[in-house]
Amino acid sequence: MATPAVALHLEGVTLRYGPDDTAPALADISTRVCAGEVTWLFGALGAGCSSLLLVAAGLAPRHTGGDLAGSVTALDADPHSPAGRAALAGRIGYVTAAPAAQLSGVAATVWEEVAFAPANLGWPIERIRAAVPRALARLGVGALHHRDPATLSGGELQRVVIAAMLVLEPGVWLLDEPASALDHAGRLALYEVLREEARRGAAVVIASEDADTLLGLADRMLLLDAGTVAVDGHPRDILAGNAAWQHRAGSTATAALARLAARLLEPVPSGLRPPYPLDIESAIERWR
Amino acid sequence: MPVLRMENVTVRYPGAPAAAISEISLTVEPGEGVALLGANGAGKTTLLRTAMALIRPASGRVEVAGRDTARLHPEDLADVAGYAFQNPEAQLFERTVRAEIAFGPRQLGWAAGDIAQVTSEMLEQFELTPSADNHPYDLPAPRRRIVALAATLASRPRLLLLDEPTAGLDRAGRLLVERAVSAARATGVAVMAVTHDGDLTVESLDRAVLLENGRITRSADALEVLGSTDDVPRLPAPAQLDRVLGLGAASPRRDAVAAALATRCRSRG
Repeated sequence: MATPAVALHLEGVTLRYGPDDTAPALADISTRVCAGEVTWLFGALGAGCSSLLLVAAGLAPRHTGGDLAGSVTALDADPHSPAGRAALAGRIGYVTAAPAAQLSGVAATVWEEVAFAPANLGWPIERIRAAVPRALARLGVGALHHRDPATLSGGELQRVVIAAMLVLEPGVWLLDEPASALDHAGRLALYEVLREEARRGAAVVIASEDADTLLGLADRMLLLDAGTVAVDGHPRDILAGNAAWQHRAGSTATAALARLAARLLEPVPSGLRPPYPLDIESAIERWR
Repeated sequence: MPVLRMENVTVRYPGAPAAAISEISLTVEPGEGVALLGANGAGKTTLLRTAMALIRPASGRVEVAGRDTARLHPEDLADVAGYAFQNPEAQLFERTVRAEIAFGPRQLGWAAGDIAQVTSEMLEQFELTPSADNHPYDLPAPRRRIVALAATLASRPRLLLLDEPTAGLDRAGRLLVERAVSAARATGVAVMAVTHDGDLTVESLDRAVLLENGRITRSADALEVLGSTDDVPRLPAPAQLDRVLGLGAASPRRDAVAAALATRCRSRG
């Protein structure tokens, strides 16, 4: 089997938002993300997950202010150079944590919103007409195509904003808490779409606190703490132990319950020691 | 007396083919905690906004703390009701976190000493003291949500209306919100929260109202409603395990279930 292509490569990346910042938002991060892989950025608030996505997208420090050191390569281009940005137009699907902030603001309907990027990339109208309904349908919002984006509910808006990236079939997905406003069914449906995107060959990078759902989606976890990659490994291996707690990130609900119960006992009985059960089924198996 | 009473409330948006919410009747008593559950687009936010007089119903009656809101504006309810938006950016506009928190009490004409005191209490309670002089927009998005909640609570509302108060928060942030909601309820504040968070529902609320296509289809103990359809959050893991394993916890909340689990595991060594 051929080695999968590296879709995203960060080398010695350090980001400071302000000259007065005592600690950098990202501190000397080097990592590679491959095409077809779902990578989960996990960490407490301030660990650097959102900053890493912004840097990979070429949005920080350009739009946030600050200084960047090191190099970023996405799909063989540098998103921090004008030429790289031109080469990457339409090939990176960045989804912010605040969906309302991502709307173009110029579209009168959901259809136009999703057509906005393709139209700006100069796609022929026939291609746009075929791609927009497909993207909306994949996220379960096809029926909203005529609606004014300003009138959507929070969860509907979040799906539309993601559809506006999905339509581009990007080579790299960078998603910041993309399911925060979604109901449970919507969350599972979105993660299935992202899984399909990885199968298509996209590199999917997703920052999320939703350990219980991400566990079934991600191939790899980058556990971040204080702007560095504290642990790089398989999500199950990391979450079943204490590493994610030592770095203030937490774990799944059943692992959290085991930790909580263990704190009440000294010595800690074997049933409450790592590896922690990560889902209901294994918890029942362990504690029945 | 209920802090919120809605009777046969129907809301229609201009040009929309169907009503956003239809014939909603519900009451929320002091100290009660209600989770508004339902699929995206079911009408949860519309119901919440109508309770705050941000939307005028086409028909029906809304009373907040005994006031008929038909001719009132949100600011007329500012002394009794607080509303934290789903999108915190919609409500933050001051230059510092401290000023944002002080805004409500100042508008209500509180004495300077009381304003200073509630502001420092809120900064402390929500672990915002180190960010007090930052611009709210210089904070990470999840912390902006915490600032919005702190600012909403600062006016000491009797009715607290929250739209997705834990969305996008990390573990520590979710715990802050859970504790704040529980603490507010303990002082008699009535809380109604739109949420997809089963943990918040079990830890800090107790009744669940399920909305489907703009109508209330269930109103019951949250433990009965959670997990009953695909559109509502699943029952949180501690409550599920308490049931399935027969742990006999004193409550379905995580601390109580952890205690019961510890007892079981200790006896097994």
